Amino acid sequence: MTVVSRRQFLKLSGAMAATLAIIELGFDEKKIYADSKNIKIFGVKPTPTICPYCAVGCGILVYSKDNDVIFTEGDPDHPINEGTLCSKGTTLRQVFTSDRRIEKPMYRAPGSNKWEEKDWNWMLNKIAEKIKDTRDRTFIESEGGAIVNKVESIACMGGAALDNEEDYLLSKLMRGGLGLTFIEHQARICHSSTVPGLSPSFGRGAMTNHWIDLQHTDCALIMGGNPAENHPISFRWLLKAKERGAKIISVDPRYTRTSAQADLYSPMRSGSDIAFLGGMINFILENQLFHEEYLKTYTNATFIVGDEFDFNDGIFSGYDEENRKYDKTKWQFKKDENGEIIKDPTLKNPRCVFQLLKKHYSRYDVDTVVSITGASKERFIEICEMYGATGKPEKSGTILYAMGTTQHTVGVQNVRSFAILQLILGNIGVPGGGVNAMRGESNVQGSTDFGLLFDSINGYLEVPTTDDATLSAYLKRITPKSGYKVNNPKFVVSLLKAYYGEEATKENDFGFHFLPKITAERNYSHLRLFEAMGRGELEGLFLFGQNPVVGGPNSGKEKEALGKLKWMVAVDLWETETSSFWQNEAGSDPSSIDTEVFFLPACSSFEKEGSITNSGRWMQYRWRAIKPKGKSKADLEIIHLLARRLKKLYKGNFTPVAQSISALSWNYGEGDHPEIDLVCREINGYDMKTNQLVSGFAGLADDGSTCSGNWIYCGYYPEKGKNLAKRRDNKDTGMGNYLNWSYAWPMNRRNLYNRASCDSSGKPWSQEKVSIYWDSVKSEWVGNDIPDFGKTTSPDDQNGTNAFIMLADGVAGIFSTSTNDGPFSEHYEPFESPVLNGLSSIQLNPVVQFGDQDFNPKGDSNKFPIIATTFRVSEHWQSGAMTRNQPWLSELMPHMYVEISEELAKEKGIKNREKVLVSSARGEIEAYAMITKRFKPYKLRGKNVHHVGMPWHFGYKGIAKGATANRLTPHVGDANSTIPEYKVFLCDVRRVQ
Amino acid sequence: MMADYIKFVDVTKCDGCRACMVACKNWNDLPTVTEEYSGSIQSHAKVNAHTWNVITYNEHETANGGFEWLFRHQSCLHCVEAACEKACPEDAISHTEFGSVVIDHDKCVGCGYCVQNCTFDVVELATYKDKHGKEYRRAQKCTLCTDRLEQGLEPACVTACHTDCLIYDEKEKVLSEAEQRLAKIKERFPNANIYNPQGIKGTTTVYLLADKPSVYGLPENPKVPLSQIVWKDYAQPLGKAMFGVTTMAVVGSVIAHAMNREKGEHKGGQDHE
Repeated sequence: MTVVSRRQFLKLSGAMAATLAIIELGFDEKKIYADSKNIKIFGVKPTPTICPYCAVGCGILVYSKDNDVIFTEGDPDHPINEGTLCSKGTTLRQVFTSDRRIEKPMYRAPGSNKWEEKDWNWMLNKIAEKIKDTRDRTFIESEGGAIVNKVESIACMGGAALDNEEDYLLSKLMRGGLGLTFIEHQARICHSSTVPGLSPSFGRGAMTNHWIDLQHTDCALIMGGNPAENHPISFRWLLKAKERGAKIISVDPRYTRTSAQADLYSPMRSGSDIAFLGGMINFILENQLFHEEYLKTYTNATFIVGDEFDFNDGIFSGYDEENRKYDKTKWQFKKDENGEIIKDPTLKNPRCVFQLLKKHYSRYDVDTVVSITGASKERFIEICEMYGATGKPEKSGTILYAMGTTQHTVGVQNVRSFAILQLILGNIGVPGGGVNAMRGESNVQGSTDFGLLFDSINGYLEVPTTDDATLSAYLKRITPKSGYKVNNPKFVVSLLKAYYGEEATKENDFGFHFLPKITAERNYSHLRLFEAMGRGELEGLFLFGQNPVVGGPNSGKEKEALGKLKWMVAVDLWETETSSFWQNEAGSDPSSIDTEVFFLPACSSFEKEGSITNSGRWMQYRWRAIKPKGKSKADLEIIHLLARRLKKLYKGNFTPVAQSISALSWNYGEGDHPEIDLVCREINGYDMKTNQLVSGFAGLADDGSTCSGNWIYCGYYPEKGKNLAKRRDNKDTGMGNYLNWSYAWPMNRRNLYNRASCDSSGKPWSQEKVSIYWDSVKSEWVGNDIPDFGKTTSPDDQNGTNAFIMLADGVAGIFSTSTNDGPFSEHYEPFESPVLNGLSSIQLNPVVQFGDQDFNPKGDSNKFPIIATTFRVSEHWQSGAMTRNQPWLSELMPHMYVEISEELAKEKGIKNREKVLVSSARGEIEAYAMITKRFKPYKLRGKNVHHVGMPWHFGYKGIAKGATANRLTPHVGDANSTIPEYKVFLCDVRRVQ
Repeated sequence: MMADYIKFVDVTKCDGCRACMVACKNWNDLPTVTEEYSGSIQSHAKVNAHTWNVITYNEHETANGGFEWLFRHQSCLHCVEAACEKACPEDAISHTEFGSVVIDHDKCVGCGYCVQNCTFDVVELATYKDKHGKEYRRAQKCTLCTDRLEQGLEPACVTACHTDCLIYDEKEKVLSEAEQRLAKIKERFPNANIYNPQGIKGTTTVYLLADKPSVYGLPENPKVPLSQIVWKDYAQPLGKAMFGVTTMAVVGSVIAHAMNREKGEHKGGQDHE
C-alpha cells in the first residue's frame, strides 16, 4: 500500500462522499482510454428536438438507446445555435433520466397527508365527473340580460411549455367547450405588458426581429433583460455583431453576466426605466440625432392631435380620479371635414405629435434623469450618444428586453418607451433593429397566440364580452375601418367553424353563443383569479405546468388561496410546490385542507411530437425520441381523453349547460392518442366542403365555408404532406433569414414591418443590410425576406409607404390613442418606493387598479427602506420545477441567496455566506448573503438608497431547495396588462441571530 | 500531426453560462459533487475528480478603479511537459497523439502523486468500489475528450460553447488569431495576455486572459521541478533496466513521496490542513 499523507487523506474523504453518490446513481468508473469504437453514441441515431427552456428555440439532438437517453448535444445543423447550447439545454438528458420524474397518476383525498397511486381511467373519470358537477351547479346562462353561457368557478392555468397543437386543444376545450372565463397562463406574469405596448406602436405584439438577425445590429441596448443568463444563445449572435464592431450597452440595477460582456454598463434604480428612456428620447431629440425622414414617412409624428389632449403635472387630460381611469376620447387625432386625420409634414405645428413628443420629454433633462435613476451623468450621456448614433439612416440599433421591463405597474409604458425611442431613430423594420421582447418559455409565444389569456382568443382577437349581444355586434366592435384587421370577421367565423364544425351555421351566428362572454370591464387575470380563489369563488383549478406557489406574486397568500378549492388537477412532470401545497413540507396542515388533488404525469417534450413557436415566431417541429417515461402521457393525449369523457357525459344533451361541449367538434381519430396531423390541419384551416387545406389567411372566408383554428398560423400547412414547421433546410437564403427552415408566422415573414427597411422609394436604407427592396422591373418587392407588405404594392401607391399594415393608419404609433395610461409614457414611482416622484406630484401610475387588499399589504419605507428586485439565473428555469429536479443543474446553482452590496453589508453587520432574513410587508424568507461589488447603493437627490436582488427559482421541492423570493413580492399590477410588479418592492434585511 | 491542434480559451468571450461544465458531465457520465455555499455564484472551489472543468467568477477591481467580472473556464491545461506524467511511478500518465495528457486506469494505482505534483492543481482522486465492495482509487481529470477526438468530434465543452470562448482548431491559426484578438482587447484589458507557459514547453489548452495570470490563480511562470525530470527521464528508465520494473516502482514510491512532502510543505497554508 502506498503511504497516504494527511493532506491526501482529507482529499480522499471528500472523494469518499462522492462514492456514495456514484453507487446510488449507478454510475460506473468509465474507462477513459477505452476503444473509441465504444464511445457511447457510436451507431446511435439521434432525434432532433427543440429545447424546452427559453424561447430562443435551439436545436438539440437526443441520443436514445435501450429505452434510455444516453446523451444530448446541440444540433449542429440548427441555424440558431449551430450545435452550441447553454447549461440547461445541455442537460436535457436528465429531464428523462432524473429519478424524480412522476411516472404514475397520483390522487390526494380531502384531508389526507399522502398521495395514492391510481390508474389513468379512475383519475380521468373522476376528474370529468368533478368538472360536470361544478359546471352543472354554477353555470351562468345569462347576465344582465345578455346570453353569456359561461363557467366562472373553474380556472385553467398554464400552457407555455406545451406544444402548439396542445395549446390549441386546451384552449378549444376550456373556452370553446367548457365555457371557462378564468383562462390564464405564464404569459400573463412574464410578457403580458409586451402585447399592449407593441401592438398600438407597430400593429403586432411580437418580437419584431429574430435571434440570428441580432448579428446585423450596430448597437444593442439591453435593458430590463439579461440575455447572457436567460437567453444565452442570443449572445452567440450579439458577439458576432460585436466582432463587426457593434457596441453592447447594458442598463440594469444589477451588474449581470450580460453587463460583463457589455461595452458600457450603467446601473439604474429598479422602476425608473421611463425616466431613463425618456431622458434618452429627450437627448436624441435635443441633439438632432433622430431619423427625420423615417419619422415623417413611417410614423404618426406628423399627425395633429385634437385640442382636448393635454398633460399637466403627471396627468393626461380625461382623468377620472374616482374610477382611476382615462376617457381616451380626449386623446384623438384632429380630423378634417372628410374624416381624414390632419397632418403637418413639416413637423412644425405645435399640436403635431412630434412637437408634443418634444414637449413631453423635455422635462426629462439629464440632471433630472440621473437624480431619479441613480445613473452617473457621464455614463448616461455616453449611452445616449452611443445609442443615438443608430439614428443615422444606414445604422440600426436593437433593444432587447424581458421581465425587468414588463413586470412593473408601468410595464406597458416601459415597452412603449422602447417603441418611441426606436421609431425616432428609425430602427424598426430594419435588419439589426427592432424592439425584441425575449420570451422566456419555449412556447410562450405559441400559447399566447392560441388565446390562453382571459382577454384574447386565438390570433389576438378580442374576447367576446357581455356587450356583444350578437356575432355582428361583436364583429363590429373588434373590426377597424382600415388596416389588415378589416379581415377580422373571416378569422372569427373560421375559428368558430374549427370549434363547432357542422354545428356552427349561419342561422345560429356560427355558434357565437357557444363561446363564453366575459363580463365587460371585468378583469380575470392572474392577480384577480387568485383573489377570486381567496374569496372562495373558484371550485376547480387546472394547472398545465404552472407553479404559482413559487412563481406567483405574494406566493404565500396565493398558496393559502389554493386551500379554498374543492379540486385541483395538476399536469406536470414533477411534483411541484403547487401540486403539493397541502403537505406538511409546504408549511400546511393537511388535515385542514379539503382540496382533492389529481396529479397527472405528463411526458417531456421529446417523448412526444408537436411544434413550438420561439421568440422570433419560428414554428419548429419536435420529433419523438423515446416513448413516454413510465405511465406518463403527452398533454395532447390527456386533453383529448378528458374531452372525450366530457362529451360522453353530456352526450345528446343540448341544454344551455351542455350545448357548447356537445357542439364542440372533436374529430382527431379513434385512438386514445389523437392523430396530431388532424389537429395541425385544423389549426391551419381547410375548405369545409372539399377538405382542401387553405394556403394562407387571404383564403379564409366569413361565410362559414372555411375553418381555421388560428388565422395567424394559416399558411403553415398549405397542402397535404407539407407541414412547413417540419422544414430543416439550413441553407442561408440571405441575411441569415433561413426562409426554408421551419415556418415563421405570419406567412413566413422573418423580420416584421420590413417595408420600413427601405426609404419611401423602396430603396434599402443600407446596402449592407438588405431585407427587401422594390424591383421596378418586376414590379414587386424582392430580397432576403418575405415582404410584410403587399407584394406588388408599389411605393408610389397611395398605401405605398404604409409599412405598418396592421395599424388602421398604416404608420407606427409614436402617439398611442389606446393605451390605458396615456399616449406617451410618463415616469411614476413603483407601488412601493423609498423616494417621491421627481417628475410630478403623482406618485403611482394613476390608472393602476387595486384588488383585494388582504392580498396586497403595502410596505412603509420607514420599516422597509431597501429596494428589492428579483431575477433569474442561467442554470435554473422559471419556478425551478424542471431544473431543480435535475442533479447537474442543481449542482451548478444549489443555494438560495440574496445579493447585497458591500456598503449595505457593512451597515447591517452582515458577512459573506451568513444567513440573512429578507422581509417585506408580505412575508419573510431566509437566504444566504452574497456580498458583491456588483451591487452599489444609489445616491438619489442626496439620499443614499440601498437595493438587493434575489433569484426567484427556489422552493421546497426538488434537489436544490431554498426559500421562495415571491413570498415577498406585491400583488399589484400594470394599468393595462395587470402583470404583477415583481421587479421592484421594498424590504429589509437582517442577520439571522 | 494531431498535436498541432489546440484548445483555446478566450476568457473575454465567456459569458459564464457553464454549458461546458454540464457538457463534460454529460459526455463523461460524471456524478454531482455539490458543494456548500461559497459566497459567490461559483459552484465549485476548483475542479475535482468528478467535475473536470469549473467556471471561476472573480469580481475584480482594476488598477484604474474600474470593475470587471472575470470568468475563466478552469480545467486541465494538458501541459507539453506535464508534471503529473513525470511524477507518476506507474507510467499510467501519457501524452496522446492529440497532445492530451491522459491517465490509463489499468495502470493507475491511485497513489495520488500526480495530484500532489500537478502544476495547476487539476488532478484529483476518485474513489470507487469494485464488485466485492472493496474501495479503490483512480486519478481523474479532463481528458480533452480524447475519445471524441479519435472520432473527429471536438471536446464536449468546445461543442457546447455558444460564444466561441472555447475553440478547438489548428494551433498556428489559433495562435495567430489570438495575437490579433489580444491587440483588440488591450484597450479594455491592458494586462491581457496569452497564457501558454513556455517553462513547461507550452500547453495544449492555451488561454487568452483578460488580466495577469495571478488574478486567475495561475502561476506566472510555471516549471516542472528539475528533481522530477531527473527522476522520470533518467533515473526511472535506467533503474528499470537495472533492477526490474517492480523494484523500481517501490523505489519510485519512496522518492515521489519524498518529493510530495517537500512540495506539501511548500504549499502549506493553502490546503486547509
